[in-house]
Amino acid sequence: MQQAQRFLKLTAWGAIGLVTLVGMGAVVIRALNGLGVTNLNFIVPWGLWVAFYIYFIGLSAGSFLMSTMVYVFGFKKLESIGRLALFSALIFLIAGMNFVLIDLGRMERFWTVFVNRNLWSVLEIEIHFYVLYIVILTLELWLLMRRDLVVCGQGNDWKARICRILAFGSKDVSDESVARDRRIVRVLGIIGLPVAIGVHGGTGALFAVVKARPMWYGPLFPIIFIVSALASGSALLTFVLAFFAGKGMAKQERDELVLLLGKITAGFLAFDLLLLWSEFSVGIYGNIPEDLEVMRLILFGPFWWVFWFVQIIFGAFVPLLIIFLPATGKNPKWVGLAGFMVVVGIIGVRLNIVIPALSIPVLPGLDEAYTMLPAPTQAFTTYPPVILTWLNRFAILAALGTFGIFGLIALRRLRGQEAYRFQRGLVSIGTAVAVLAIALFVLRWVGGTAVTTLGLGISGLDLTQTPIGGILGQTELHSFYIPSPNEWLSSAGLIGMAIIMFAVGYMVLPLESKEGH
Amino acid sequence: MAKTEENTTLAPDTTRRRLLQTLVGVAGVATVAAAGPVKKATEATTISLDTIPVDAPVVTSDGKVDPLERMRADLARALQKPVSERRWVMVIDLRKCVGCSACTISCVAENHLPPGVVYRPVVEEEIGTFPNVTKRFLPRPCMQCDNPPCVPVCPVNATWKREDGIVTIDYDKCIGCRYCITACPYNARTFDKGLTYNDDVSETNTIALVGPANAEAYEMAATHEYGENRPRKEGRSPIGNARKCHFCLHRLEKGMLPACTTTCIGRATYFGDANDPDSLVSELIASPNVMRLKEELGTEPKVYYLQ
Repeated sequence: MQQAQRFLKLTAWGAIGLVTLVGMGAVVIRALNGLGVTNLNFIVPWGLWVAFYIYFIGLSAGSFLMSTMVYVFGFKKLESIGRLALFSALIFLIAGMNFVLIDLGRMERFWTVFVNRNLWSVLEIEIHFYVLYIVILTLELWLLMRRDLVVCGQGNDWKARICRILAFGSKDVSDESVARDRRIVRVLGIIGLPVAIGVHGGTGALFAVVKARPMWYGPLFPIIFIVSALASGSALLTFVLAFFAGKGMAKQERDELVLLLGKITAGFLAFDLLLLWSEFSVGIYGNIPEDLEVMRLILFGPFWWVFWFVQIIFGAFVPLLIIFLPATGKNPKWVGLAGFMVVVGIIGVRLNIVIPALSIPVLPGLDEAYTMLPAPTQAFTTYPPVILTWLNRFAILAALGTFGIFGLIALRRLRGQEAYRFQRGLVSIGTAVAVLAIALFVLRWVGGTAVTTLGLGISGLDLTQTPIGGILGQTELHSFYIPSPNEWLSSAGLIGMAIIMFAVGYMVLPLESKEGH
Repeated sequence: MAKTEENTTLAPDTTRRRLLQTLVGVAGVATVAAAGPVKKATEATTISLDTIPVDAPVVTSDGKVDPLERMRADLARALQKPVSERRWVMVIDLRKCVGCSACTISCVAENHLPPGVVYRPVVEEEIGTFPNVTKRFLPRPCMQCDNPPCVPVCPVNATWKREDGIVTIDYDKCIGCRYCITACPYNARTFDKGLTYNDDVSETNTIALVGPANAEAYEMAATHEYGENRPRKEGRSPIGNARKCHFCLHRLEKGMLPACTTTCIGRATYFGDANDPDSLVSELIASPNVMRLKEELGTEPKVYYLQ
């Protein structure tokens, strides 16, 4: 058993290492060849890398804000993950910066942002925020680890040597020195709080000030960024604590903390969903073409599944169910899994922020005005038939699955045994999906495609004539950008780097306080 | 990438445009091949420009003044004023535009634009439903906004509005973050990814026609934007930078009209100094059928459309 686990661990790290190695190769290719290796084009000039940039800045700011709960607001229950939160904030800020770096057309000039400063540019303001943030973060983390570094530096092995270097000559291990450290950390945290809000709210403002893109333009955007950052940050800590960290903690204490973090995640996530609803419902009702087209593209475009499956079902709906259902909500492993799902789902959120808003040409017909568009163009016609087809496929699968489980239950009954609980659960879910899909299928069969599209088969009901009819428009939806292999590989490389840095840091640094609370 | 494009777009108008591109390619290569004479030709233009009397525009056979000649006189007059007193505007008469894309192509040739970079596309809009359709052609240069949204977003001050209203880019400062491209409501900025038409030889038969070496020479020839001499070399600006229409500033300074204006076969594009009440453009922008794109955004474009 132990051996099997070690083998699994080695395989996982081997895979991560390999992906990172290949990915860093892709980064080198990109650095040598310029942005020609990407599929970015004049319609969509920002793509996967910018999406990952705001994703990691969000993870970082979210983690940091979680740490302020401990060190500023004195939320003692989260004390044991305070350092971990700060450390992940640091690592993911670096990851975010790496994504900006490889996205620059002229990477070698990145340092000029500190020389040619245009303080009217939100991006430049952000760069100042990032620098301030990284300083505060590093100082806080160091002060919190200082005594542990001094203690661990007393040995003679390689780890002690690293500790001694990182302690920067500090030798004081008295309780007074720790109390002094904590006072400084509190001040730093108070300064850091608005800075962290500036870091991610400002990243949202980067988009919110662009009046050329109605989907981005507006005062709600920076707030959405902060809330989703908090959701992803707390979800990340839930996941890491449930599966990897907290080895030094008592099992019960750790489990309780995971469940608490899960609840916090669910709260932020629910608030994030509320903002999403506000954004979309008002936008759809408003019916402003440029705005609406972007929403149509998100909801029903070629990448509709990023919204429905990654962002909503995988990243929000299922995690909320896991956290709130009594059967799973009390199990730290399940809640940790929910945290992982949120962390992944937010990637979909970020992709849908950056790419669709750019994919609607600012002037109709601009995309066809020039034939040398170096990008794959994907056309996807009307949406509901697609969703219906999918639902029908689900219906068939669900029906087959349900029959199968019925069979198994029948077999158990024949042996005089009760059905398992999960079997009953699966049967009810399968039946629900099958019934829903069959209902839609019948509607479509009765009414034909057009009727199903516009009135869901109910005669006299034409949804295009309602205030929300615009979203059901039947024009073709195009996407002008699919990330190139290099973009995917480079991203994988940078993400792998972040994971490895995180793991190494976790092994070497005293990220979990031994004092307890 | 280019292959996908080749396979998917084979509509007749595309073929026509490709033919045009091919022709320009050939013309361009011819110019490069005969580099010596070209220089002389440029000098000749300058000389002939000086011979145009500023106060006596050329009169055509039907008794009217050719707008091109009048605009050249307007330009010469404007150049005598200090830069800060000039206000360059462009007027495009949509009723005259036939959608030939000559302006797009001449712009590509003038500024040596690589694939994916376009300063002045002609946007085609189909109005009505088949078979009762008509087409509207909308050439779209940079609007040279008075309140340009692309300028404040630049983190490194690499782009700014000149005194005469033209929004320019410093290729040596630009870090290629492309924030300005997303901020432009007209998509007037594009990004130089460093591609060349030579990357995919099967793309056009131009290369087969003129030979790879000549094609290469044409593609690598220097661009003279902003009066600078920038040969196209790997890793050198403007590769990796944002690029945009600058009303052919380098031509203006030499007393020449923008390339798109001189090549417009329908005389649909006008250019001149709006601060000069006697200029042709000042007359045109005073007409009631004048329109500007997306005025509601408060960008104050300096490109006017007549419709």
